Amino acid sequence: MEIIRVCDLSVGYEKSTVLEELNFTILKGEVTIILGKSGCGKSTLLKTLIGLIPPTRGEIFFSGEKIDFHSEVSLQSLYNRIGVLYQNGALLNSLSVYENVALPIRMKHQAFKRENEEQMVYQRLSQVGLRESAGKYPSELSGGMRKRAALARAMVLDPEIIFCDEPSAGLDPITSSGLDDLLMNLKKTLGMTVVVVTHELRSIEKIADRVIVLHEGRMHFSGEYDELFSLKDTFIDTFFLRKGKDDD
Amino acid sequence: METQTKRLEILADKFLKQLESVKKFFQLLADEMFYTAQYLLKRKGTYPGEIGKQFYFMAYKSFPIVCLITFLVGVTISLTSAAQLKLFGADIYLSWFVGIAMIRELVPLMTGVILAGKIGASVTAEISTMKVLEEIDALKTMGIIPEKFLMVPRLIAITLAIPLLVAVADFVGIFGGILVAEFFLGIPPESFIREMLNIVILQDFFIGLAKTMVFGWAIIISSGFKGFSVQRGAEEVGKVTTESVVLSISLIILLDCLFAFILY
Repeated sequence: MEIIRVCDLSVGYEKSTVLEELNFTILKGEVTIILGKSGCGKSTLLKTLIGLIPPTRGEIFFSGEKIDFHSEVSLQSLYNRIGVLYQNGALLNSLSVYENVALPIRMKHQAFKRENEEQMVYQRLSQVGLRESAGKYPSELSGGMRKRAALARAMVLDPEIIFCDEPSAGLDPITSSGLDDLLMNLKKTLGMTVVVVTHELRSIEKIADRVIVLHEGRMHFSGEYDELFSLKDTFIDTFFLRKGKDDD
Repeated sequence: METQTKRLEILADKFLKQLESVKKFFQLLADEMFYTAQYLLKRKGTYPGEIGKQFYFMAYKSFPIVCLITFLVGVTISLTSAAQLKLFGADIYLSWFVGIAMIRELVPLMTGVILAGKIGASVTAEISTMKVLEEIDALKTMGIIPEKFLMVPRLIAITLAIPLLVAVADFVGIFGGILVAEFFLGIPPESFIREMLNIVILQDFFIGLAKTMVFGWAIIISSGFKGFSVQRGAEEVGKVTTESVVLSISLIILLDCLFAFILY
């Protein structure tokens, strides 16, 4: 069952076009990887999917509903159903880990009882292994811990879908692998849909169900992960081969 | 001919960008007025405890510098005017001059300039850094309106902080004048105060307060406007922070001039 459908999507800044005529679907309960070289428009696509950059042409449907980028109501409805893990975590430095995770609850459900809030926050912090660090501030955390805290914040209100922008960026392979395990757990235990923008081959191999490959702003491939390797394509071969060498 | 057309195009582009910028400034101003009214009615949309935190920073942390500067301005203005008044044997009128000048003009202006440097720069630096680190985007995708979440507590805090700062600054500034009158002109403090109260009325205090309040709002709006305008990386943070202080001070002078036309 599809959760997101993208039709003829083009995105640009002022005079330049970054993404052109993209068409794909994201299926519920799956991990979809958006892949491509640096500067190919991966992050722009992610920002468009989460409602931050309006498209210049085309449409995006979320659970069958068209996202109206000019309507606050439509965007708020989208924001109520998604969670986003940003590249650097994007935790608020003035708030503790607990307060960061509790922020969406406090801002959206002010009548919530303190005990319920604590229960929800500590449950998420336990899932990401940060229960003991609840009182710490983002500046006291390592890069990996910050991302895990940000993941806890992204999923605290049980969103239908979680978007992750380069979750492995700046992390060592062990921490990065731990984060991939967390994302897999989300999918398995909560049936959550996950969209990940990355170019880390290890992560792709470990977590991908479907892959969308972007090349020079256009969609080069969209399909299941296994299909990607049976495909004879010069760009994909070069991309994976080069990445393989780099990783070694 | 072609070069001239290109130059004209560039000029027109720059003008349109400036116009767009002015439009965005007034849009932010209108949004903030709406969000503040909405917050006062519904008490929603800002982080609990944030107003207190901002008030502490804006009022308590600004007291020392506001006191020092207004005291020095009080002393300077008294020394300068005392020398002139002495020539005419009008020493006692120093209290009139110091009272009116400090309460109606110098305290609002100096407090505004100090707050532009201290609070305005800090607000811009904080918001622009948050924008660079994607914290503003994170707030948006959590369904939080950043312009409300970040700006309303600051607007309310400055509204609460300014009356306290102005009252203390008026007192300290006039105290500087009293010291000069006592030690350089031999006018006893009680005579100075008695003479000053003949001309200075409570309305003057409220005029000074109202002016400082408007300056304070102008500082918060312009520093927020500059903070949210950051598009690129960290290098822009320093640039917009400087621009924010320049914009705030320019606005303060402009508004002060408008007040002068309205009030005199």
